[in-house]
Amino acid sequence: MSAQAYLLLTLAFYAVGVLHVLFHALTRRRLLSSWTVTATLAGFAFHTASLSQRWTEAGHFPSVGLHDGASLLAWTIVLAFLATYIRTRLEALGLAVYPVAFGLVLIANLTPASDAMDPILKSLFLPIHTALAFCGYAALFVAFAMGLAYLVQERELKARSPRAFYYLIPSLEACDTVSGRSVIVGFGFLTLAIITGVLWSHSARGRYWTGDAKEWSAVTAWLIYIGLILARRHTGWGGRRAALLGIAGFAVVVFTFTWVALFPGVYAAR
Amino acid sequence: MILVIGVSHQTAPLSLRERLAVAADRMPAMLQRLRDEAGLAEVMMLSTCNRVEVYGRGEEGVDERALEWFMSATPGPPREELAPCVYRLTGAAAIRHAFRVAASLESLVLGEPQILGQVKDAYQAAEQAGTLGSSLNALRNRSLAAAKRARTETGIGRNAVSISYVAVELARKIFGELKDKNVLLVGAGKMSELAARHLVRSGARATVLGGRTIGKAEGLAAALGGRAAAFETLREELAVADIVISGTAAQGVVIRTEDVESARAARRGRHQRPLFLIDIAVPRDIEPAVRKLEGVFLYDLDDLKSVADANLRLRRREAAAAEALVDAEIAEFLEWQKSLDVVPLLVELRRRGEEIRRAEIDKARARLGPLTPQQEQALEAATTAIVNKMLHGPTVQLKELARDGHPPELIGLVRRLLGL
Repeated sequence: MSAQAYLLLTLAFYAVGVLHVLFHALTRRRLLSSWTVTATLAGFAFHTASLSQRWTEAGHFPSVGLHDGASLLAWTIVLAFLATYIRTRLEALGLAVYPVAFGLVLIANLTPASDAMDPILKSLFLPIHTALAFCGYAALFVAFAMGLAYLVQERELKARSPRAFYYLIPSLEACDTVSGRSVIVGFGFLTLAIITGVLWSHSARGRYWTGDAKEWSAVTAWLIYIGLILARRHTGWGGRRAALLGIAGFAVVVFTFTWVALFPGVYAAR
Repeated sequence: MILVIGVSHQTAPLSLRERLAVAADRMPAMLQRLRDEAGLAEVMMLSTCNRVEVYGRGEEGVDERALEWFMSATPGPPREELAPCVYRLTGAAAIRHAFRVAASLESLVLGEPQILGQVKDAYQAAEQAGTLGSSLNALRNRSLAAAKRARTETGIGRNAVSISYVAVELARKIFGELKDKNVLLVGAGKMSELAARHLVRSGARATVLGGRTIGKAEGLAAALGGRAAAFETLREELAVADIVISGTAAQGVVIRTEDVESARAARRGRHQRPLFLIDIAVPRDIEPAVRKLEGVFLYDLDDLKSVADANLRLRRREAAAAEALVDAEIAEFLEWQKSLDVVPLLVELRRRGEEIRRAEIDKARARLGPLTPQQEQALEAATTAIVNKMLHGPTVQLKELARDGHPPELIGLVRRLLGL
């Protein structure tokens, strides 16, 4: 089967997750069932097959352009979700993950695969650098989603009349803890991605720093996250402010990602 | 035949129900009287604030006598007052009712958890009084199992609907784990104590602030396994508290915004941690403006009530799922009960006897060769008599057992013994 066919199957299986989570959010029951998790695992398997097929078809690691970028990002996000779910059994994360993973795979299904064949893409740095970066994005997405969950739950609790989210979202403490841990994991990946990116730039163009907007935004995000981690560790920061800062950091991350995904030529050719 | 006779919050006012209620110490005598005077072979009585019901088993028509007894022999309200409130259910309707009561589908507060324990205790009391037989025992096992399933598999018992449990659930929504959280009680009222007890059971530590008399605070602190402190230390105690329950009888404000602000500032390193304030005093103890502070959650009685109401609405929605589950369990029980009927077993027993007899006659014929009609007749008569005499005992005994309500395992045992 072609990468495209696998991707279509992936979309179908993730759709099960989206529908299940949304339906159960409306009835305020448990968000996930063993069915949903099984469907997600099946979708994830097809997704993996699609990516490996695409790697062969494209001739380079499939992380360049909107089609490949969206698909790979969805894959890492689902991976991060499964890893978090296994550890914490946090079902509420599914509320953010399923629609986003489904949306990204949908985008990948609707956009043509770019067949840019830049010699720079042949480099070994491409899989290493982008895999690290994407893992970082996924972990930071989890941190963002749990930070958002924190703010929503806090608003519910302040409002003193419970609506849907009060029942669906776990405790403030759980949101804060998972968000904080995900930031640390994401930050680690981000750091490694920046280091490998700088090395790649040097080996490809002879310069460590090209001044591209992506580089600036990656460093901005890095600074926000290190600030957040230090504040958490040393001043007992947490809760609302940490959630807000995590969301701000993620906004910068989104910019960093879309910059390459939408303008791969600009970034790659510089 | 299983029957239910009684009154409940749906049919009778509290003033009537309370006069019918049977205290635990009077229960054994009551059960024995019911058995002896009302002609019930088995009997159990459920007496709670919301219902007083007799569950029994007896011969066909026993319900009339039991109803008569219930209305006249109890020392409760006069007959005219009682008659319109009493319901009488028999057979499938009675079984259905027993299942629904245990599953809390008939409760005043839908899905409330106490009824399950009350039903359990009622059956146990009957067992100890020796009035519980196999029929009611089967009903007990199946209805309690169904109730537990409804509780775990649907949301009927999820989300607290009582004020003190709502407070605990909110604390969980804020802190997750309650282990090692500090609970500060300001004022030692009944309701504060109840909520604090739940929190302490979940691993929280309690501190009780005393008013003019520290003695009362010390007593409560001892009961909660915590410590007592003087009211003057309010600010210091606030600084280390995670959850505050305030329920003093004071006329004015007891905890001011400045108190909370200064306490927040004093928690160096942990000032970002949330603070959950529960004000159950009327008039209120805590200044409402406190809730504007970051990370501070203030709930007064009305707020707790509105959470309880929202939870109750959710439970009502879940009730449909619970009803379906209990209905399925009831259908299964009725089906199973039918299978206990001894008639099919007796028919099968006869058929098997006849089968063996036929086979043996054929064998005998093959060995004996041609027989005269008289010999033929004698052979038939002898073998038939053997089978009939062999089966006479078991048949009579089984019919008797069936009339008395035999243990469910018995039919299976008989089948195995006879190789059926």
